Amino acid sequence: MTGLERVLATVRFEPSDQVAVIPQIFGHAARIAGVSLDQYLTDAAVLTRCQLAALDRYRGDAVFALLDVNVETEALGSRLRFPKDSYPSVEQYVLERPSAVAELAVPDPTKAGRMPVLLEAARLLRQELQDRVLVAGCVLGPMTLACQLLGAERALFAAVDEPEAFERLLDFAADVAVSFGQAQLEAGAHICVVFDPSASPAVVPPALFRELLAPRLRLLCQALKRKGSPVSWLHIAGPVEPILPLYPDCGVDIGNIDYCVDPARARAAAPQLCLDGNIRPLAFVDSEPEDIAAACRRVLDHADAGFILSSGCEIPLEARPACVQALVDSVKRNSS
Amino acid sequence: MDAALGTLVAHLLDGNSQAALAEARRLRTPGLDGQRLVVEGLEAAMDLMSAKCTSEQFNLLEIMLTGRAAMAVAREVFPEGSVPCTRGTLVIATPQGDVHDLGKNITRMVLTTKGFRVVDGGKDCPVAEMVAAVAREQAFAVLVSGLISPVVPLVRQLRGLLRERGLAHVAVVAGGAALKQCTAEALNVDYVAHDAFDCVHFLEGLGVRP
Repeated sequence: MTGLERVLATVRFEPSDQVAVIPQIFGHAARIAGVSLDQYLTDAAVLTRCQLAALDRYRGDAVFALLDVNVETEALGSRLRFPKDSYPSVEQYVLERPSAVAELAVPDPTKAGRMPVLLEAARLLRQELQDRVLVAGCVLGPMTLACQLLGAERALFAAVDEPEAFERLLDFAADVAVSFGQAQLEAGAHICVVFDPSASPAVVPPALFRELLAPRLRLLCQALKRKGSPVSWLHIAGPVEPILPLYPDCGVDIGNIDYCVDPARARAAAPQLCLDGNIRPLAFVDSEPEDIAAACRRVLDHADAGFILSSGCEIPLEARPACVQALVDSVKRNSS
Repeated sequence: MDAALGTLVAHLLDGNSQAALAEARRLRTPGLDGQRLVVEGLEAAMDLMSAKCTSEQFNLLEIMLTGRAAMAVAREVFPEGSVPCTRGTLVIATPQGDVHDLGKNITRMVLTTKGFRVVDGGKDCPVAEMVAAVAREQAFAVLVSGLISPVVPLVRQLRGLLRERGLAHVAVVAGGAALKQCTAEALNVDYVAHDAFDCVHFLEGLGVRP
């Protein structure tokens, strides 16, 4: 089986030749290639070269055309600060109040900010890999983009203080995600990961997720599937167990589970949902490869057909390559 | 909890700033002591929020709303300055390279309403500045909040830098999404707090008084 076939079989709970494994390698690909992160995040050819090198080295089942969480907000006018060798951050948010979203227009992904870099990376990765492994793009989910446009504190207070304006902001954020996500699929990505860490139950109550976020995530997943995405992958970190049962109704096929979530409880909460996770991300920095292998064995001992072995969140930039390799090798050993 | 303050506490737990303020004003009219309002109202609300925030119910938004309401009442009662410090001085900061300060700000709010004097070193703060603030403010603890993993080596430096300044007695507490994946031993700190209330419990356990 190819990596793509393995992942898609796993999503359908069908047998595969081995457990699908996706180390969530983003900027770490630049680190191991000896490339500065600012180059990686601004040059599609560099990102592509680094992702291909990481794939060649670790041999996971996916690559990522993914820059950072600031692509959309930058394209809409937020000012970023780019440190030499770490991810950028927002220096000035484009919105000072949620109602000002009325003055923003959905950006053209082929022109705005670094959106074209991501599209070009998706095109190059797909051109090179075809259907050998999953080529994943990335869009921010509505809650996280709202926080990135307004600042997290103001966005969260706005959810309570200015609910109507906040909902308009969420609608706009969802429109941006649809436009950008569909452009990524057109460019060559098989799927777009919907990355929405601010929708975590650690940040907002599950009731807010159910009432305000789930309907917009449903529209987003539908729009991506209309454009040809075979599956939808929702990535929310933290204690997601209370909201996992809502994922299938949102059209989500793969749900990320972080290290703090018990896989057995996650499975009980969402029996039909493909899960990916959940090795502690910092373990790739502060543990030994044997520890990673043991953690993987513990997870795989209880995994069913609908489980993708992965890190609970992004593999840290400074991860030890031997630890990342241990994650992938544990699947090979487990399947032999 | 004092029954007279029950309505105030309920409004605080609802995160309803306006209703909490109105109730605080009503309570103050017959001359209710401001300190009592803080201890039996604000602190009681925070204690109840702490009990509610088990690992499965914890979310930042609810704490932010209660904290904001509590701070509004505190400013009403003590318009000239901060809530009286009854539990000692702390320094809190997000380390250099990390600009995610939501968790830090929430922790600062919770600690302030619990009677701690909190000196905020802000985000993207060099560890040397944190140590300088500890010395200058005679703080008994320094709290460091980190969302991203590259700050881990900086946190490990804190205790050594404190020792160099003759501040080995100062407690070091870490928290935040990245740091709470580590053990206290791995970070070379005294305690890794799971959340803002866990941090309060640890600090209260130290029994420091100003």
